[in-house]
Amino acid sequence: MDERSEAELVEEARRGGREAFAELVRRHERRIYGVVYRMAGNNSDADDLAQEVFLTAWKAIGSFRSGSSFYTWLYRIAVNASLTFLKKRARERNRTVFDESLGVAGPSRMSPSAPEGSSAADELKARIEEAVGGLPGHFRAAFALVVDQGLSHADAARVLGCSENTVSWRMHKARRILRERLKSFLGEDRS
Amino acid sequence: MRCGEAERRLSDDLDGALSPRRKARLEAHLSSCPACRASRDGLARLQAAAGDPADRSPEYWAGFEGRLEAKISAIESGRDAAAPSPVWRRWAWAALAVSVLAAAGAWFTLARRAPVATEAWIPSGDALIPLIEAAEGDPGLEQDVDRLVRASLEEFGGSLDADAAVLSTADPLFWESVSDDELRAIASELEKESGLGGPK
Repeated sequence: MDERSEAELVEEARRGGREAFAELVRRHERRIYGVVYRMAGNNSDADDLAQEVFLTAWKAIGSFRSGSSFYTWLYRIAVNASLTFLKKRARERNRTVFDESLGVAGPSRMSPSAPEGSSAADELKARIEEAVGGLPGHFRAAFALVVDQGLSHADAARVLGCSENTVSWRMHKARRILRERLKSFLGEDRS
Repeated sequence: MRCGEAERRLSDDLDGALSPRRKARLEAHLSSCPACRASRDGLARLQAAAGDPADRSPEYWAGFEGRLEAKISAIESGRDAAAPSPVWRRWAWAALAVSVLAAAGAWFTLARRAPVATEAWIPSGDALIPLIEAAEGDPGLEQDVDRLVRASLEEFGGSLDADAAVLSTADPLFWESVSDDELRAIASELEKESGLGGPK
């Protein structure tokens, strides 16, 4: 276990230290992957995005300001890369829909689903994943940072470049949408 | 508190973002509102079930790190191929540093003897900016420049007055980093004190 502090590792990486950067990657890869997975909704795209995040970080680490939070900076790269990816995917899907309307076959959309014979908890998790995947990008980012990563509203606001109040509002709206979509799984279906 | 506000506060409460005062008001509302209590239970189930969406194996992470390392290596080797070799680059910068120092040193030597025109000795600040930036970002280059500057100053040291020598030794990049205006100001001060050098 590398006992160097994060600040020491960042400083070494800023001077071109590849080994120090590799240690930073090991310390943050799971959290970054968690965010981009939540944003992309599948492992293949999450893998590409996570690689892109760390490559961007390596190229830009010289511009990282000492004294600021490295993980906040990484999360910001991850969220920005994911939002750009979502816009690109939306454009491609719109084009696919247009192609299909013209009779040209396109890739089919996949939604996560629990494997056959899985538990009710697995089923609920799969449904949540699907429902979160249907949230608007900025709501999804707030959900990923606050619920999955456990960031405070203040830290999430720093990552997202908005106010704490905006994070609070996005979380409230995201939960409202999710509850509505998952009523039957959450035992709230009173109809 | 009404149910609409309670719903917003429930969300804040789950995120640990509720002040004690608001939390007390929320609890008071929940104690008398079964619908909001049901909402809270549903949101809590949602929160608990969300969990970590991406659970990968140790083998996956080893592969992930290996692929990333290979991409960084490719970027770095591309940078090395695009840039001149460090040895050549350092020699080029070193040659530039020496020529600048020679100009500054020559001025000091001449200034001890007779007034000189400003334009004859002030080095071009713009030409030095890349050297300063490169030295700041490259500890090896910085050391090389530092060594050459010290050697050059020692070479001209005999003709420098005590104050200038101390100043230069304390900051070897001093003469490269001062602007033309600063150099003019220094020359002006020297002119006042000794009647030698400075702008005419």
